[in-house]
Amino acid sequence: MMARDELPAKAKKTRRTRKLTAALIAAGVCIGPLAAWAQTQIYDSKTHTWVNYDKKKARQYYARNNQAPEAFRMQTVTFRTAEPPGTIIIDGNQHFLYLVQPGGQAIRYGIGVGREGFGWAGIVRVGRMAEWPTWTPPAEMVARDPNAAKWAAGMPGGPENPLGARALYLYEGDQDTIYRIHGTAEPWTIGLDVSSGCIRMNNNDITDLASRIKIGAKVIVLMQGAALYKGV
Amino acid sequence: MLQNTAKGISIGRLMAAMTSAALLGACTPTPPAPESMARTTLQTAPADLQLLCANSAAGVAGPNAKVLPTASRQLPDGTFAVDLDAGGKKFSCVVDNNGTVRSVQPAQSG
Repeated sequence: MMARDELPAKAKKTRRTRKLTAALIAAGVCIGPLAAWAQTQIYDSKTHTWVNYDKKKARQYYARNNQAPEAFRMQTVTFRTAEPPGTIIIDGNQHFLYLVQPGGQAIRYGIGVGREGFGWAGIVRVGRMAEWPTWTPPAEMVARDPNAAKWAAGMPGGPENPLGARALYLYEGDQDTIYRIHGTAEPWTIGLDVSSGCIRMNNNDITDLASRIKIGAKVIVLMQGAALYKGV
Repeated sequence: MLQNTAKGISIGRLMAAMTSAALLGACTPTPPAPESMARTTLQTAPADLQLLCANSAAGVAGPNAKVLPTASRQLPDGTFAVDLDAGGKKFSCVVDNNGTVRSVQPAQSG
């Protein structure tokens, strides 16, 4: 009988390959479902099935309907909470922003949130607001994104500006978190995980939200699996 | 007599068609309400239920504690389990669909 150390080189190589394959399969089983967990789906009334709603589908939907799917449009919903009216609650996983109203209700808006690795959760407040704000990309975005780099000194407000019609600047205490709730020049991205950590809304919705809230409004950001905000 | 036979066959066909349609209707799932026609495959608890848990945990963690839901999932009995962070202290909460918080407990470590 051949000792383990005496296996021919070919047999050793085969064994290593099998081990590597098994490890990759195991990793795939663990990582695969995690990666698929946050897939947005919309209900297709024609086929009576839930279908994946990705960037391509979202663009097609918006091109056909000139608006996001109905679930992501502004609407009043039942919302049982002890938080006072005027509080903003962001459900990053389900792509909804709630503005608490009196009487157990909330106004719900559709949102786009941070893509994988860019999500966060925390309790912050609206520190200030701006209309058609200038967008200045942060240094790390300038470094990784050539489109952002050309606006390193600031992009003036307007319909092409990624902050859209309004920006609510989120603070923790007196510290700017660098995160914002803002409008968008890409309204088809509502319902998707697309941003660098900011919360994006279509321009009509962010204008409506900004008109209803006060500086200092509490903002609770819920996002399962994301890092808790610890400061910049 | 031939006319009566033809009439009988037509009624029979109509009945069969209606039965098929009824059966088909019974097999078609009820669509969700328009406001519920979006979801993610990550089935978290509704945001208001998560916050009801956080509010209950604040009573346990202390009046100034900032309590934030960090994860949630539906349990086999239809209730939701919500994991909470209160300034580093972890709590587990169970809340039902009616908004009744069933339990809030310090999370088991390990």
